[in-house]
Amino acid sequence: MSATVWMGYLIDHRDNFTVVQSPFVLDGVRVFGADSDATTLAVAGLLHRLQHGEVESISVPEGMDGLSLSMATGVPLHSSEADTSPAWDVLMSDEATVVLARHESDVELTSMDVEVQADPDFHHAMQQAWNQELAATHVSQGAYVSRAQYEEAGSSRLSLTGQVADKGLVWPPRFNHMVDGSPADKRDLQRTGTVQTWTTLSAAGAPSEFSLRAPLLGGISTVLLQLDDGPKGVFLTVDDEDALFEMEAPMELVFRRLYAQEGFIRYGLKARTVYD
Amino acid sequence: MLRHLPTGMVDVAVVGAGQTKYGNHALGLKGMWAEAASKAFASIDGDFSPSTIDEAFIGSIAFGGSQLGNTAALLTEHSGMEGIAVRRVENACASSGFALRDAWMAIKSGQADVVVAGGIEKMNDLTPERKRYWLGVSGDTEWERLAGLTFPGTYALMARRYFHEFDSNHDDLVNVSVKNHLHGSMNPLAHIQKEVSFEKAAGGFMVADPLTLYDCCPTSDGASCVVLAADHVANQLTDTPVWIRGSGAASDHLALHDRPSITQLKATQIASSKAYSMAGLEAKNIDMAEVHDCFTIAEVLATEDLGFAARGEGGKFARQQKGQLNHGNTTINPSGGLKSKGHPLGATGTGQVVEVFKQLRGEVESARQVRDAETALTHNVGGSGATCAVHVFGRDR
Repeated sequence: MSATVWMGYLIDHRDNFTVVQSPFVLDGVRVFGADSDATTLAVAGLLHRLQHGEVESISVPEGMDGLSLSMATGVPLHSSEADTSPAWDVLMSDEATVVLARHESDVELTSMDVEVQADPDFHHAMQQAWNQELAATHVSQGAYVSRAQYEEAGSSRLSLTGQVADKGLVWPPRFNHMVDGSPADKRDLQRTGTVQTWTTLSAAGAPSEFSLRAPLLGGISTVLLQLDDGPKGVFLTVDDEDALFEMEAPMELVFRRLYAQEGFIRYGLKARTVYD
Repeated sequence: MLRHLPTGMVDVAVVGAGQTKYGNHALGLKGMWAEAASKAFASIDGDFSPSTIDEAFIGSIAFGGSQLGNTAALLTEHSGMEGIAVRRVENACASSGFALRDAWMAIKSGQADVVVAGGIEKMNDLTPERKRYWLGVSGDTEWERLAGLTFPGTYALMARRYFHEFDSNHDDLVNVSVKNHLHGSMNPLAHIQKEVSFEKAAGGFMVADPLTLYDCCPTSDGASCVVLAADHVANQLTDTPVWIRGSGAASDHLALHDRPSITQLKATQIASSKAYSMAGLEAKNIDMAEVHDCFTIAEVLATEDLGFAARGEGGKFARQQKGQLNHGNTTINPSGGLKSKGHPLGATGTGQVVEVFKQLRGEVESARQVRDAETALTHNVGGSGATCAVHVFGRDR
């Protein structure tokens, strides 16, 4: 069937379920892109689903980062101790495919017609690097963002939640921004912006938390975006697409892997070019 | 309500200054500090004993983490300063610029007469991966590091935006590099003592596009130390004190993306405005300046933020070589700057003062002596501009 391309993934949207699939194929099998996994696919699918209505709660399978998914989408995670059933479930398949399904509804897995051939050498090297990076014993000399710190600002970092302050819309939120003694209003920012400047760090100059993968990627690129809602931010670009590095070029922010340390993946928003 | 008490009754002078050579140093922290301190003490003309020091402020990031705690106490133990009240001052690359300010304030407050300010960093005993980690610890970790930024990356973002907003391109940065290498080639204390051609600097290995290797300062080992004294003591220690006529400092958002403009450093503008005002001088009155050129674009921005060039004309200032030794009104970085003299993070701020001390007393190598230098400025920046300390000096009070 004809797939919708959404945040770099393929989407098949139905009334009771959404199939999200990686566009990359290797030897006839769907594989994840360089900075994607089941969690990133599920977040994209959920954000697509939310355009069509509320998702009251969701359950996630073992191995998926439910907390990051919830912080990135604002959808509450279903507690396994709750008396009620979740409204939606995330189901994982073997082939870089995730399904979001209304609880206990039937799902029909369709074959999508978009296939991007993955480079086998690059794919295997990247998988190997991630496996090495993901080992619990891998304590790199990279920047240390603890789990607590990751979670504290999770909603602003992963879902672009800003704050209405006395001087306008602020992102990331400030802890001292209060209005009449109460926390400022929260506001979800649009995930779009335009390029104000950019750089590509050589592999040798990339931060050490990227040292296993930067050589495979030929360095890493960062853009400073003026978000369409006003604030600015710096973001890595996605690993598996070429970006258009031009002043004022439009980009969108998508949920991807950043790096792993001590067995814990740090996710974040990355920029990808919006092509007409 | 807080109010400032009058502080005009005490003037503060630099009476001694010394530093190690910057570069790949065989000595460790203790040895480098001992060398810098002993050189500073030896440079004092009159009778001086370290036992007369009231306080000491030592700037350091404690790069590598080998001595994160109580760094300063360990160092003074190796320089004849046992028992003196001492502390480490940390403001990233501006650590010893702020140590100097703290030392100056200690004397201004009337609580101390003789105070040491210094700085130190040992950077080249680490593996490349460990070094890359420590080089990024002074940005906004949660936002900038997670976006893959190091300081070369951060300044690269600023450079590209500067080229977009103003009449400038990478050639202007190359001119900064060529000038500072020229100055550094004449400085026996510099890390890199050789000239570089325009063509070589322009074609350097790309570190963070558009910045090449020749746009980036080296990582250096080194230590620097200056001795400050209240006026009534200074006159007993030397006939040629160098007076601190103005001190200013400021801070800004840590993360680049939080600043309204990334082509100017607000902290530099505020700090220099305060320092000029206190000194009763303007940029046009400054004969030489040691500015924080951790990357060549940083010098271009500094020449504007400090008032040596108009907004948007820092590139042109570099293109016309106005900062070259004895070419224009103000010589910029006669030491070679961070680009050539080197950048042992915590040592850089007071290392700039060592240069000023010697220049204003006519004690540097004749080939790089700033002619008739009466006034000078030091500009020390932390990170990409989150902190900044500016000091104005004069041969006269």
